[in-house]
Amino acid sequence: MAIKQLSVLLPNQYGMLANLTEIFFKEDIDIRAMSVYDTTEYGILRAVVDDPDKAVEVLKKNGIVAMLSDIMAVNPEDRKGSLNEIFHILSNNNVNVDYIYSFVVKKGGPQYFVLKVADIPKVETLLESHGIEVIKKL
Amino acid sequence: MISKEDLKHRIWSTDETLEREQFMALQLERLKKTAERVYEKVPAYRKKFDDAGVLPGDIKNLSDLKYLPFTTKADFRDNYPFGLFSSERKDIVRFHASSGTTGKPTVVGYTRNDMEVWKELIARIVTQAGVTNEDTAQISFGYGLFTGAFGLHQGLERVGAAVIPMSSGNTAKQIMIMQDFGTTALISTPSYALHMAEVALEMGIDPAKDLQLKWGLFGGEGSTESMRNELNRVWGIFSTENYGMSELIGPGVSGECLALKGMHISEDHFIPEIIDPETGEVLGPGQVGELVITTITKEALPIIRYRTKDITSLNYEKCDCGRTTVRMAKIQGRSDDMLILGGVNVFPSQIEDVLLSTEGVGPHYQIKVYKKAHLDKIEVDVELTDASYLESYAKLESLNQHVRNRLRTVLGIDAKVNLVQPASLPRFEGKARRVIDLRKED
Repeated sequence: MAIKQLSVLLPNQYGMLANLTEIFFKEDIDIRAMSVYDTTEYGILRAVVDDPDKAVEVLKKNGIVAMLSDIMAVNPEDRKGSLNEIFHILSNNNVNVDYIYSFVVKKGGPQYFVLKVADIPKVETLLESHGIEVIKKL
Repeated sequence: MISKEDLKHRIWSTDETLEREQFMALQLERLKKTAERVYEKVPAYRKKFDDAGVLPGDIKNLSDLKYLPFTTKADFRDNYPFGLFSSERKDIVRFHASSGTTGKPTVVGYTRNDMEVWKELIARIVTQAGVTNEDTAQISFGYGLFTGAFGLHQGLERVGAAVIPMSSGNTAKQIMIMQDFGTTALISTPSYALHMAEVALEMGIDPAKDLQLKWGLFGGEGSTESMRNELNRVWGIFSTENYGMSELIGPGVSGECLALKGMHISEDHFIPEIIDPETGEVLGPGQVGELVITTITKEALPIIRYRTKDITSLNYEKCDCGRTTVRMAKIQGRSDDMLILGGVNVFPSQIEDVLLSTEGVGPHYQIKVYKKAHLDKIEVDVELTDASYLESYAKLESLNQHVRNRLRTVLGIDAKVNLVQPASLPRFEGKARRVIDLRKED
């Protein structure tokens, strides 16, 4: 069971982010990870939340289109070089990474990051075979 | 498709099928009377005629119409509220007024006879649009000073349709009434009809399957062929467009028959001309220019050569439906709506056409025009309706580029496209105002 990510169109206007977080707050949806890139006119906000299906529903109710897609999450070991190892495994196996972003980290908590690749089950198996922890469920 | 035989059954009056010579004779006689009436009773017209050096008695042929002075919106403003009226107050039975986007509204009045003429004209346009006494017609125009709702109302009653005077707004209730009353004909602006369909779908009602609508009679604002297709698809209806203007009478000036080959003008009540909006010169059949209309049967407020600002052309050939009245083409734009961007003429309707036929984006839009380094720039806000484009920035960007390329092909200029959230652009229940022109200074 892959982890679901939410993608939302985010025009580059004042208050767009605040509007979104307000909706999540009011509807009691917890944001676990979030990313927006620096673009000129509009961007895509991507987020991992505790209840993605509900999030899509409440956004729709507020006139905001959102799509759900599968992503994978990885928990690298907390030491120098662990990310270097992961990305080398991926590149040696010709896995193309569309984008990554990390979870909001609590002090002492796990340091998950989100990885967007085309063939998720294949990459999960690949990383696990190298002893890297893949998160299946939040 | 509707057969020719069926089309012929949908003619309300034999006056719609007169021979050209009969129309011309009728028009000349009525034009003379109207010119005499305004010259005698309306000081503003007397002055206009005198300034133009023409007297009602100079009208010998229909072609002499071109010597008469134009009437414009400014004349209504200058003579506010009743200066252009040619009937006394005791003979007026109804007032209406235009929405008046700027300043004072345009006031119009009707005598008892004007009301009869108006009902007759509407009976013609609703009949040619498919409506009969079997139909239940829901009027979703705003009731009030605006001529649209009352105009259609009276004419639909004359035809014998069961009228639901719903007015505009409260969209969820509109849908409920449609469902419960079994509405078969919808009367509204095309943009409000699109909005109502969106709301119905949100309510879990498929307008094409769950409702009994057959006919859509749209007016009050212009629309495009692709908008018509969209309306037909979402509502499962046969839609026609009709045209009118409160200055001339309200709705009822012209309307499409089911052959959909232009809007028939009731020539026993109006004389249309097409002019070059720059020079005022009268253009021939088929030539595109500004529509000018003279009313020839009105009593309270006869209008000589009214400059409608609407861009169209006239076709005098006999229609498949059997009517012989002249047809005006779909309005291409307004001579004052037309945007001139770096010397290129752009009509907002062209932009709408592109959006309606592009997958992934909605039909609503907003245009911003501004200057940057002395050059005209245009931006179009468009609603993203298909969430699957959010999969990657590249996909979203290619949709944006696709819209941009299509606009460039149609408009001949480059427009910046901004994708925005669905339902974030304003919806209009009356006339849509979708252009923001920020080029005021210089």
